[in-house]
Amino acid sequence: MELNNEMTAQESLRIITETMNNNRLDITRRSGKHFLLWGALLTFFSLLVYALWKTTDNAVWNNLWFAMPVIGFGLARLLENKAKEPRPQNTISRIVGGIWGTFGIFACLISLFTVLYTLLDKSANPIGQIVVGASLTAQIVLLFGMAEAASGIALKNWAIRIAGFVTGIGGVILYYVTGVGKEQMFLFTLAGIVLFVTGLIVKNQHK
Amino acid sequence: MFPKLDPLLHSELRLAVMSILAGVESADFTYLKAQTGATAGNLSVQIDKLSAAGYITVEKGFKGKMPCTTCRITPEGLEAFGNYVKALQEYLR
Repeated sequence: MELNNEMTAQESLRIITETMNNNRLDITRRSGKHFLLWGALLTFFSLLVYALWKTTDNAVWNNLWFAMPVIGFGLARLLENKAKEPRPQNTISRIVGGIWGTFGIFACLISLFTVLYTLLDKSANPIGQIVVGASLTAQIVLLFGMAEAASGIALKNWAIRIAGFVTGIGGVILYYVTGVGKEQMFLFTLAGIVLFVTGLIVKNQHK
Repeated sequence: MFPKLDPLLHSELRLAVMSILAGVESADFTYLKAQTGATAGNLSVQIDKLSAAGYITVEKGFKGKMPCTTCRITPEGLEAFGNYVKALQEYLR
């Protein structure tokens, strides 16, 4: 692109429109790698927890979930630092990042609270009884579906919106229909696959 | 009567740089170079002109051990860009 002061008004508008569009699509497409990373991690952890839970018949392996955000944020940071061109933020990438950051905080806090509560005297904490009484898996899957659907709205992508509703609401229904055994980990496997496919859609939708 | 087009923005590369910066919080030099396809020398000259006019701010720092130049559009730059687009629309009416 070289200097050219003889541009017509149409040419100027074309440059503005093309540059803005290309830039917006490029940033949005690059945000797909985060979906791929978290989708792969979610799938891996769900299968790992399921395998260990099944082998030892001990639900304590669920505590491994707390390692996922630590590893995930570490890897995400590494990916950003290794990128040849640092990715600037635009409104869409900031909103999508905010949605998943909020989901992560909610999921971690509600899980942490549940674990802490089970270590305490249940009768002394009526609020905790309600939280523990409801299924943690169902709550997190529902939150996940909301985050996914909201991402679909921000990215203006119907497939992601529908995937969010199906995973969130369908996951909760499936949980209560199928029971509360170790097989509930497969709901997270499904969510992980949905997230991974979302990443592929985001990365490829504007090519 | 047609409004006068801002001569500083009426150049292909400077206009492209402003179009990118108008849509992001900030962008570094390598990103702008890749997006515009400009040479480093040419881009550097145009960034200096935009910076001298107060349309963008340029922050030089380091990312790890690598030097990093970060550009950001200013409120004055955003206003000038908006006025330029409005003027273009007048021409096209």
